[in-house]
Order: sequence, then C-alpha cells, then structure tokens
Amino acid sequence: MTIQMDFEDQHIEVHEFRGGAVAIACVLALVLQAFLNKFSAHFQLLELPLLVVIYFGLSRRNPISGLFLGTAVGLLQDGISHTPIGLYGIAKGVIGYIASSVGARLDTEHPISRFILVFLFFHIHQVILAVTIHLLLARPEPFFSTQLLIASLINSAVAVFLFAGLDQLRKQ
Amino acid sequence: MDVPARHRPLVLLVAVILAQLLLLAFQIKRGQDVRLIRVWAAAVLTPPQHAGIFVISKIEGAWSGYIDLWHAQRYNQQLADEVGKLRLKNQQLEGQAAEAGRLAKLLGFRQANLNVPMVAAEVIGASADSNSETIFINRGEHDGLRRNMAVITPDGVVGKIFEVFSHTAQVLLITDKESGVGALLANTRTHGVVNGTGDPLLRMDYVTTGEKLFVGEEILTSGEDRIFPKDLPVGTVASAKPGYPFQTIRAKPAAHLDRLEEVLVLLTEESLNPRQTEAPAASATPEKTSSNSKPRGNAAKAPIASRAPKNAAAPASHAKTPPPPAKKNPAVVKPTGTNPPGAPR
Repeated sequence: MTIQMDFEDQHIEVHEFRGGAVAIACVLALVLQAFLNKFSAHFQLLELPLLVVIYFGLSRRNPISGLFLGTAVGLLQDGISHTPIGLYGIAKGVIGYIASSVGARLDTEHPISRFILVFLFFHIHQVILAVTIHLLLARPEPFFSTQLLIASLINSAVAVFLFAGLDQLRKQ
Repeated sequence: MDVPARHRPLVLLVAVILAQLLLLAFQIKRGQDVRLIRVWAAAVLTPPQHAGIFVISKIEGAWSGYIDLWHAQRYNQQLADEVGKLRLKNQQLEGQAAEAGRLAKLLGFRQANLNVPMVAAEVIGASADSNSETIFINRGEHDGLRRNMAVITPDGVVGKIFEVFSHTAQVLLITDKESGVGALLANTRTHGVVNGTGDPLLRMDYVTTGEKLFVGEEILTSGEDRIFPKDLPVGTVASAKPGYPFQTIRAKPAAHLDRLEEVLVLLTEESLNPRQTEAPAASATPEKTSSNSKPRGNAAKAPIASRAPKNAAAPASHAKTPPPPAKKNPAVVKPTGTNPPGAPR
C-alpha cells in the first residue's frame, strides 16, 4: 500500500510493510550475515544489515524511524560482533537517518538509483566507522581501499536484487 | 525544551549518537586500563578545575601580597623609626664614649700630676669675634682662677687665662695673634717663641738659620714666660724655611684647639709630667721632667734647614745647655702674652 502524504510541500509516497516484516527482515539479515561469514571469508564483503537499513530507510522515508531502525540493527550487529557496543549503532543510525531523508526527495525505486545510493551509503557508512574507530579506539582504519571499493560494488549489486525482493513485503 | 518539528529528527539523531558515544566510552579502555568515559570526564572537568584553582590561587596570591605589602609597609615604618632612635642613641653613646675618653685622659693627666694644683674646666663658648682666638670656660674667680694662668690639655698647651669673671673665664688660645709662648725645640733644645698667627698653624720665631730641625719635631714649652711650666708640648714643626737671620718655622698645635671640650687650668707654674697621661693606671711614679728634656724625634728624617747660611747669628737660646734666664733671651715672652718689642711678626 502506498500512502500519499505531504512532506515539505511535496507529495511523496510512504510505503508500509506487512506486520513484522521489517523486524523479521532485519533479524534475518543479521543471522544470515553471521551464518554466511562462517562458511567463507568472501561473505565478509557483504553487509546485509546495512542493506536492510538502507532499504527500509528509503522506503519508509521517515528520518526518525530510519534513525531508530538503523541504530537498533547496528547495536544488534555490535552485539554479535567483537566490537564495542555502539560502533555499528552510530554508523547505521546515521545511515538510516540519511537514507530516510534522501528517500523523501529522490526516486529510489529505479534499480540504477538504488545501485548508486547503496554504493554511496556503503562508503558513508565506512567513513563513519573509520572516524569512530580512529577517534574512540585510537586505531587506524582506512577510509577507502580497493577491497572496500569491491565490497561496495558487490553490495550495490546485491542490493538491486535484494531490494526487489523486499519490495514484495510491501502492503499492496 | 520546545524544539521545532522541522529540527526534531536532527536533534534526535544527535541525541542517539551521543548516547551511543557514551555507551562506547563506557566500554573502551585507553592506556593504563582507564575507561574512555573517565578520560573524557577528566578532559572536560579538569580544565575548569585548573582554571578555578589558577584564578583562586591568583586571587589568594594577590590578596596575601597586598596584606604582606601592607604589613611590610608598617614594619618598614617601625624599622625606620627604630633606626632613627638607634642612630640618635648611637650618636649619644659615641658622644659619651668620646667624652669618657677625654675625661679619662684628663684624669690620667691629673693623677700623673697629683702634686700640681689644677682645675678641670669645660669649654662653654668661643669668641664671637673672628679676629680673636678665645674660648670661655666654666671656671672663674670662685674656683681660684687668675689672669695669666696656663690652660692646657693632656695633648698640649691651649692658652692662658685672659679675663676672669666670677664663675667663668676667657682663655686666649695660643693661635691668637696676640698670643706667645716661650718654647724650645725638643731635639736641639733651641729656644724661641711660638706666636699665634690667627691661623690654625703657629709660627716659631728666633730660631737661627743654622739650626737643624725636622718636620714633625716636637716643640715644648721652655718655662721662660712664667706662665706655662717647662716641657709641655706646644706643637710640632710643620715647615721651616731658611731666612736671615732667623728661620721661618710653622708649627702645628699639639692640642686639638678646634675641638676643645674640657681643659685643665694650672694653678701653679710647677713642672708637669705630660708624658704620663697615656697610661695613668700603669704608672704610679710620675716621670721626671728631666727625661722629657732628652732629644726626641725621627733621626732618620733629613734636616730641612741644613742649607742655612753659617754666618747667621745664633741667639743665646741656641746653646744646648739649659736655657738662660729670661732676661738674657730675646725670645722671652711677656707674661701678658704680647710679643716682645722688636720681634719680627
């Protein structure tokens, strides 16, 4: 179902999802992330929780809900990782906020735009992580690298298909 | 706090990020195993504490400095007052010490001459006339003083009583132009007359050019003037120039005439023992006058009148034998203190 609402004098579409779809998708992304990493180190390039946060942020187009969703997913990711609690929470919270804000202004339904947006959000996410790790943990963390570039491209490509699949969870 | 709806998501974002930063700070530990939240807390709180301590210490320092300065000023004033009092007291003590020294000297002189009647007197004034050299003493007719009595100090001759009043007397100093003392050179026993010039220095007349004498040579009283006893110090030779027939001799008075405070008035013309004044307690037996007649002075000094003409007429006083009677000596001083007629002045 698509809801027409006014947002800063513009008519934007806010998508609603089936009950529990958001929560299930997020938990599933976290579990799958941990599960896949167990099988191969190549899956470490994937950032499924980030993709889920970006998708729901772009779709729901509410900065507050995007912020909380991103923070919640990030904290859970911290919880199952060996990182201080809050590291991913901050990064994904900011991404959820920005994605919701951007989703209210741009066309986020087209696959190309989704590819570009995910590519950008991936690097923003990495920059926030690097800054936080550098400042708080006093540990060097690259802002950009070839591996990060490859990971961003892979995640962007995966996101195109993942987002199309998640579109099915929307209320008609 | 009322936040506009447009900014509410941004404020919320900041709040969530801050909350997670705090959460991180609780978990992360820095060097020395200190939690980051403690490091941050210290970083946030210690600068104001430092600033507060700095300001308070400065205020305390300024206040204590002001108080110290105030105390120092008072203390300085007290010290200045005390220094002034001590200076005054010191001057008094110095004056008393000097007076004690002078009195001790007088006492020593007096003890060395117990058989000689004398009166100690205090100088109470000086002449108001710049052309005359006189002083006033606090002894007079009631104390037995008479005209022409000798006035001395342990250092030497001062002058003679010129006028006598009931309780005071005027003394004519030997430096006065009208003053004259029968004298002799201590080394050669050459007689002459010491006259005042109105200046600090005296003049010794009637010493022939052929006589050898030395700068610093002592001049003693000869006793021929019937005023001063024999062998009292009159002065020392300051300079001598050959002349015809007599030398021009300048002498420095033995007594400190410029700072007289106590003097002795001799009530007799008997001979004294002036050399006993330095150690009165050590000497019970006064030195005889004859011992003072021996030549004194520095033999190493070159004679200053040795180039005098040999044909200069030597007076009778030139003889080294005891001085002749006053009538035969042209340098005899009249008892009144005036110079003899025809004497060169």
